[in-house]
Amino acid sequence: MKLLKLLIPFITILSHGFCGSSDTDKFERYRSLSKSAPIDLDDSSYQVLTSKPRDYHVAVLLTATEARFGCILCREFQPEWELISRSWHKGPKPDELKVLYATLEFTNGKETFQKLMLQTAPVLLVFPPTVGPFSKVDDGPLRFDFSGPISADQLYTWITRHLPDGPKPPLVRPINYMRIISGTTVFMGVVTLFTVLSPYVFPVVQNRNLWAAVSLIAILLFISGHMFNHIRKVPYVAGDGKGGISYFAGGFSNQFGMETQIIAAIYAVLSFATIALAMKVPRITDNKTQQVAVIIWGSVLLGMYSFLLSVFKVKNGGYPFFLPPF
Amino acid sequence: MAESSLNVLLKGNTGRNTRGLLRIIILGTIAAAAVSSRLFSVIRFESIIHEFDPWFNFRATKYLVQHGFYSFWDWFDDRTWHPLGRVTGGTLYPGLMVTSGVIYHILRFLTIPVDIRNICVLLAPGFSGLTALAMYFLTCEMSTSPSAGLLAAAFMGIVPGYISRSVAGSYDNEAIAIFLLVFTFFLWIKAVKNGSIMWGALTALFYGYMVSAWGGYVFITNLIPLHVFVLLCMGRYSSRIYISYTTWYALGTLASMQIPFVGFLPIRNSDHMSALGIFGLLQLVAFADFVRGFIPGKHFQRLLTTMIIVVFGVALVGLVVLTVSGVIAPWSGRFYSLWDTGYAKIHIPIIASVSEHQPTAWPAFFFDLNFLIWLFPAGVYMCFRDLKDEHVFVIIYSVLASYFAGVMVRLMLTLTPIVCVAAALALSTILDTYVLATPGPNPKAKVVEDASSEPLRSARKPDVGVTSYLSKMVVTSSVVVYLLLFVAHCTWVTSNAYSSPSVVLASRMPDGSQHIIDDYREAYYWLRQNTPHNAKVMSWWDYGYQIGGMADRPTLVDNNTWNNTHIATVGKAMSSREEVSYPILRQHDVDYVLVVFGGLLGYSGDDINKFLWMVRIAEGIWPDEVKERDFFTARGEYRVDDQATPTMRNSLMYKMSYYNYHTMFQGGQAVDRVRGAKLPAEGPQLSTLEEAFTSENWIIRIYKVKDLDNLNRDHGNAVAFDRGHKRKRATKKKGPRVLRTE
Repeated sequence: MKLLKLLIPFITILSHGFCGSSDTDKFERYRSLSKSAPIDLDDSSYQVLTSKPRDYHVAVLLTATEARFGCILCREFQPEWELISRSWHKGPKPDELKVLYATLEFTNGKETFQKLMLQTAPVLLVFPPTVGPFSKVDDGPLRFDFSGPISADQLYTWITRHLPDGPKPPLVRPINYMRIISGTTVFMGVVTLFTVLSPYVFPVVQNRNLWAAVSLIAILLFISGHMFNHIRKVPYVAGDGKGGISYFAGGFSNQFGMETQIIAAIYAVLSFATIALAMKVPRITDNKTQQVAVIIWGSVLLGMYSFLLSVFKVKNGGYPFFLPPF
Repeated sequence: MAESSLNVLLKGNTGRNTRGLLRIIILGTIAAAAVSSRLFSVIRFESIIHEFDPWFNFRATKYLVQHGFYSFWDWFDDRTWHPLGRVTGGTLYPGLMVTSGVIYHILRFLTIPVDIRNICVLLAPGFSGLTALAMYFLTCEMSTSPSAGLLAAAFMGIVPGYISRSVAGSYDNEAIAIFLLVFTFFLWIKAVKNGSIMWGALTALFYGYMVSAWGGYVFITNLIPLHVFVLLCMGRYSSRIYISYTTWYALGTLASMQIPFVGFLPIRNSDHMSALGIFGLLQLVAFADFVRGFIPGKHFQRLLTTMIIVVFGVALVGLVVLTVSGVIAPWSGRFYSLWDTGYAKIHIPIIASVSEHQPTAWPAFFFDLNFLIWLFPAGVYMCFRDLKDEHVFVIIYSVLASYFAGVMVRLMLTLTPIVCVAAALALSTILDTYVLATPGPNPKAKVVEDASSEPLRSARKPDVGVTSYLSKMVVTSSVVVYLLLFVAHCTWVTSNAYSSPSVVLASRMPDGSQHIIDDYREAYYWLRQNTPHNAKVMSWWDYGYQIGGMADRPTLVDNNTWNNTHIATVGKAMSSREEVSYPILRQHDVDYVLVVFGGLLGYSGDDINKFLWMVRIAEGIWPDEVKERDFFTARGEYRVDDQATPTMRNSLMYKMSYYNYHTMFQGGQAVDRVRGAKLPAEGPQLSTLEEAFTSENWIIRIYKVKDLDNLNRDHGNAVAFDRGHKRKRATKKKGPRVLRTE
């Protein structure tokens, strides 16, 4: 790095003098700094790298990966960015297409961030060449704003779209051997465990009550709108603006996480009351107990159903039906 | 005296006949109720086809009736997807059209003069009566109780979850498909129970009919193999299963391949691979079972079992390899998006954009099923009591369908039948226990509990029945109240939510009388009468079928969303500047552009609200030219007022929607009533299009695409010149004549 800083004025002078040859030098010099990973930049080297004239493309990711900035997006994207750079440098590509990948960390490039008036990170800038076969008239950088977490593939297609036509190296994700090995081990372990424990496991697996419980829980989850929560990522609860909690979201096609749990519980109680009335009560031999059980379960059914209707009335304003007591 | 005559009626042979007659009368009444509760829209409005897709089905049916079956089969439609056209005969499910065509010809043969439109309008209610009947048969297979079947039929007849897709006028594939679904399942259960080739072949026949009627047949294709697989896992292999499954699979696959649209999919698509895999597995199991009978050696049997597991594993790996290498198509996008719920939003925005593909919030379940929703888990639990083969089917179906219904609102339709079955099982158990004059257990409802395996916890003790009359009265009366509430709920929902044709809108005047808003038909008939027969109309794809059906004009895109690029082209034309859009319009021979605008009336389903989807879909194809970000303000808001972004204000859609809108209001007070926004005083200027027609309430606006300018100017200049010319004419009198140098 130090050597580089010494060289900078030298290079700038040279580049004015021998335009063509020194540019190749600039590219080659930076290219040799890092074999396949993105080049780490600071303010001055950023200036040099992006200065005119240049006969190469530069893609600079301006980011803030240090923990104290709390930029989760930056940290998540860093390995993806390295993947793009590695794939590009390792893959086959036309010789005359020169692309450099570089990273400018906020701590090393505060001035640049200020100059560009960047409020958010990460931001990707792609500088087209100003001289050479691929040079563009409009030599300002292209900017890619990260609106959310994206994968290397999405960004790579964006970059390649802005490069000149022609063959480009494909994005190659390294095979995660660790994952394959651990997956196989876990799988074989499970199989072994199952074989060894089969005398104990089989009665459990064949237990009718277990299966009944599992299917009922699954059904209750699904019919109370769990998949909606999962897909739409709704909040668990929300405030009502007066310091309290509102359990039920307003509107017919809207719900909170906790709301669905309440509804699932209501359905469960109603179903259980039905099962009790239909199957348990006729099996009670004592007349008095039976009488009491019927009345208890009957009133639970009525109360819960009435509550459910009142909740539904909240969700659907014009609903005309209700049951006492709610 | 009365009692003895009743006894004569209710006991012995006469009793059976009486009960049979009663059952027929009840079923007839249920069917009548099912049909009549779907007629709200016909009574309120008129006999009219609803919504969007039905208009295409109606048009196809008319073609079938006019040109005959063979030309329908080979129909190439050059009036849609201009300039591509559509091989309609090979890309639709013909079951619905053929059904109505057959009914039409039968009625004509009986010399009953009936219009094909009325058959189409009333087909769905008619089939709902049949569905109730099929439901009765299916539930009777599940339960020994005599009331379960009738209850299920009654539930199915009026439950809103089914009515939502089968009111009069909603002439869609689902209209007959649900009947076929239920009936196929009934035949399948019958086949499994009897192990008979006849029932298996009938299942295949109705499965083939189902394939010809609805894309949802994949549900059957996967559910039946799953049922068999679970039975095999439970160690319940029997020759009954072998016979019924192999018969169904062989004949059913052949039948399904007769439909041109399905073709070779059953052997080339992953959606169908489970059926093929289970077919193979069943052969192996049958072979092992056969060999086991002859060879007593325990080791050999173990070897055989291992062999089967190995072969199964190899087949699975082979399937994966074939899928990866591309011989077998991977899962179709629509089906795949059910499992990976984030898939559609990223990869197929066109599917994610459809409102019926959204996930279901809980109120929708209660709205569509009312108290059946909480009887449903109870009924499923009761299936665990006997756990015969058919009960396993109910359980699998319940879990799967409730998952699907949770992921997509539209699949509530497949959940509804099984909810009716399960709820009827639960409720009939209660009724059989409590509605009984004599004390002790109900002799008829007694179920044979299999003593071999461990029973359910709640069914361990013997059934002694309910003794006290008070208990019976409490439970019976509350059940009656819930049932009455259910009927009221169903009627209310049907009348309020599911009976509007959406082609005609109804609103209430201040004095309470009904006011009909008929802009759609007004505009479509304007097109029909004032434009040449071959004028191409461009609109967003939602209205393609209606324009084809009502206005009889060629369209660029329609509701059959098979070509994403073509739809994106329309999206690009709508969301770009005029200079960009005009060449696109010219290249596609567009004569008229139709937009739906609800700003004046407060009609929220208009094109400005759908606009972001057009942008998104266009961006998927031309990410450099159309950017969703440009339609949002710096603060991330989607606005239409004077804060709107330049891209938004210059887009063709915005201009067409608000063109001349400010002239409706005095002094720059133009207000968009949907988005509650005050519009800029100066309205947008259009240079390449001219306003051709605007309907009474401004819902539909039609623009004519201008021809190339006579003097070879571009349209912007021409319009500017016209405007300038006018001003000049006004000042002409004042100044002396000058030589125009421009």
